[in-house]
Amino acid sequence: MEKVSRRGFLKRLALVTDSERRTQAHTLVCVFLRGGADTLNMFIPYADDNYYSVRPTLSIARPGSAGRKAALRLNDHYALHPTMSALLPAFKEGELLVVQGVGSDNTSGSHFEAQDQLEHGESFGKKLGGGWLGRHLYSRSGGMTPLSAVAIGTSIPEALRGAPSASVLKSIDEIKLTLPKGNPQAVANALSMLYSSDVDLLGNAGKVTLDLLHRIEKLKSHSQKPVAGANYPDTEFGAALREVARLIKADVGLEVACVDHGGWDTHFFQGAADGLQASNIKELSDGLGSLYTDIHANLDRVTIVVMTEFGRRIYENSSMGTDHGRGFALFAIGKRVKGGQVIGGLPQLKEAPIEFLGPSGLTVAIDYRSVLSEVVRSLLGNKDIASVFPGFTPQPISLFKTTA
Amino acid sequence: MRLSRRKVLQLTALLGGGTVLSGCDGAISEASRRLGLTIPDRLNPPNGKEIDPNFHLLSRAGYGPWPGDLERVKTMGASAWLDEQLNPEKIDDGLCELRARRFETIYLSPGDCYEFKNNVLRDDLTRYTLLRAIYSKRQLLEVMVAFWTDHLNINLEKGDCIYLKAGDDRWVVRAHALGNFKELIKSSCLSPAMLVYLDGKENRRARPTDVPNENYARELLELHTLGVDGGYTQEDVYEAARCLTGWKLHQKGEFAKGSVYFDSASHDDGEKVVLGKTIARGGGQNDVDRLIDIVTNHPSTARYIATKLVRYFVSDDPPSALVGTVADKFRGTRGDIRLVIRTILTSEQFQQHKGEKFKRPFRYMVSALRGIGADTHAKSGLVEYLSRMGHGPFQYPTPDGYPEEMMPWLGTLLWRWNFALALAGNDLPSVSVSSEQLASALLPDSKSDLDTDLLIRHFVGRKATEAEIQALKSFKKGNSDLLGLVLACPAFQRF
Repeated sequence: MEKVSRRGFLKRLALVTDSERRTQAHTLVCVFLRGGADTLNMFIPYADDNYYSVRPTLSIARPGSAGRKAALRLNDHYALHPTMSALLPAFKEGELLVVQGVGSDNTSGSHFEAQDQLEHGESFGKKLGGGWLGRHLYSRSGGMTPLSAVAIGTSIPEALRGAPSASVLKSIDEIKLTLPKGNPQAVANALSMLYSSDVDLLGNAGKVTLDLLHRIEKLKSHSQKPVAGANYPDTEFGAALREVARLIKADVGLEVACVDHGGWDTHFFQGAADGLQASNIKELSDGLGSLYTDIHANLDRVTIVVMTEFGRRIYENSSMGTDHGRGFALFAIGKRVKGGQVIGGLPQLKEAPIEFLGPSGLTVAIDYRSVLSEVVRSLLGNKDIASVFPGFTPQPISLFKTTA
Repeated sequence: MRLSRRKVLQLTALLGGGTVLSGCDGAISEASRRLGLTIPDRLNPPNGKEIDPNFHLLSRAGYGPWPGDLERVKTMGASAWLDEQLNPEKIDDGLCELRARRFETIYLSPGDCYEFKNNVLRDDLTRYTLLRAIYSKRQLLEVMVAFWTDHLNINLEKGDCIYLKAGDDRWVVRAHALGNFKELIKSSCLSPAMLVYLDGKENRRARPTDVPNENYARELLELHTLGVDGGYTQEDVYEAARCLTGWKLHQKGEFAKGSVYFDSASHDDGEKVVLGKTIARGGGQNDVDRLIDIVTNHPSTARYIATKLVRYFVSDDPPSALVGTVADKFRGTRGDIRLVIRTILTSEQFQQHKGEKFKRPFRYMVSALRGIGADTHAKSGLVEYLSRMGHGPFQYPTPDGYPEEMMPWLGTLLWRWNFALALAGNDLPSVSVSSEQLASALLPDSKSDLDTDLLIRHFVGRKATEAEIQALKSFKKGNSDLLGLVLACPAFQRF
């Protein structure tokens, strides 16, 4: 990105009309769990005794355990957290894939550094311009509309930094120009002139916003209700996924949707089958399960990827929580994923004795960019991995099928 | 104008006594107006091609001019104005107090706050913050309060923070906003709200096998003092966490609830080494003082704070020469915030970056309300705009605080436009504006009407460009949409 001239960049910002936009593009729904999610308690390695010995109060009971809320069996080694029943069908259908030991080379233990690094697609300490999705959207062929890349929420995530266009919205319905009186068209025209004469990124943001207004106006006419059985949680996260489903079903050319889910920094009183993290996991799982049901007809061209900045320590701390670790389990849902399996293992759980004091966590066996490279190449159809992850050589894992 | 307390009381008595202080919006507005919070009869907006230097000062060292502020700075001189702002305790702020003091939960002890419902506590603190930003004459203090509020971010929605943040705002942020950095960090470190927000109250080591909770210690080094590239190690985080074991909050008791105590049985009293400096065993509750001394005196801290302040006041791309000067000042004065800010605001570089920064939603809203001379009591309808733009006060979830740079906020334009058009049309909930009064102050005679150039001069501090005039030429002079569009234009998004 740093090689691109300013003029070249601004030229790229030109938006395309409906007839020029890419049709039937694959849609990537990127869910980021903010705060460093303890995925060890989402995909439970119940066959490892060490898991139970280092987590005396936080571990989840083995599948079939009597008297307690037990984990939901996936295979001979892994089980889901008891609140994740909504994702069980996807796994059974071979449409949910879990990859263990994913992470970055970031050893800072900082949420913000690690999040930025993952979203930028960088190596530790090597700053790149823009986010990985921004570089993908910039380097892939074809034009963009304001609905090509959408963040649900109130701010544009780092991953989309540098995208030729990115919109942020909470709900499709609230995208409108509201005037107490007067002529909205005249006001929109004036805004268009004011912002097109602004040479900076702000000028482009104005242009994108006006184009978004125009497109949403057309979209609102056909309402998209969730299909039967898709009962999104009545939370901000649930609402965000519902909007993503509306955009997918309306076929507006959505390529990337970013959704955040927060509250995973469970240093204190994390809980096990119930409690703080359990309610967070339930909301995540119920939300994703609803989205899975709602867009199942489109699932051959949609993939949901869920990641976090780092996993947490294997052992619990003195306040019944877990501190910052390293590797985490990334998971993906869709008809294109080689689902129904958990790739990679947790070797350090087998090594005794476990180092208790000071920083430690799950080993990073797979660089997160190896996973994302396959997302970019196989799903999003962009072969220019060198532009998206400059200086990085992905390790082949083969996570996706060529056709659904 | 200096208002004596007696005069305020006389006036409030005249307007119906107790009802004023107990919360009658109309009476407070009327009292404010009579006491001088109005648009002056005559305004002389800048007329240059570049943004006026005094306008720039008011925009960065405050939330932009209230009508008449610019004329005042011009008369007294920028340097005298800055001196005044750097000594906020000497500025009479009676008019702001009249609006902001009515929120009783702001002034209570944490124990008493537990008696109130969450939405009352949230509304009080939010409205208090917004009203202070809009109406306080201690504008530099207010922008520094905003700076430290982000720097030492606490989200109201975590744990008991909602009961404790008002105390943190008062005794940590406001008490030290223009004071000494070390004192600020020390008071933040043992602030009940911070002990809850970053789990410090759970950080204990009663037995050797107990693992300390590193949450606060990490953010202390990474976000509050040295910065992430400041040269500390994971071992330093762990050692700092050990120093901080044993600080707890009273969970019960009418008066004690929410207050801090040291439990020596939960403290790790062994020797610690932080950033190469040894803290001898047996330090007990003094470990925290030693730790704060070490981290606040570290050279990386001076550099990190200087960079952040220069970014805040000067440019998103902080000029390195200025950062160096400011860091030296920080070290030389042992963290005297007042002198550090004076160095920044009187630097050459300060005037070289006019109109380049992008207003975050809070600043955008406050500067518009100030520029237009609005009368508001900042009720939920107004706060809703901030929430929708992702900038609700005390709502940022993670300890790094709201971002300062432009990019994450670029998606908020539609909400800014809708806010601007509603404000100009006098259609915002709980806000009243008189554009007629503004017009009569800006116009030399009553025959003409407000045109694009005059509005841009007033709100942006320079003459309108040809492109701005062209874009708005189809709107009739004096039209409220024209005023709204000036507040919606790219130039007013910047400062």
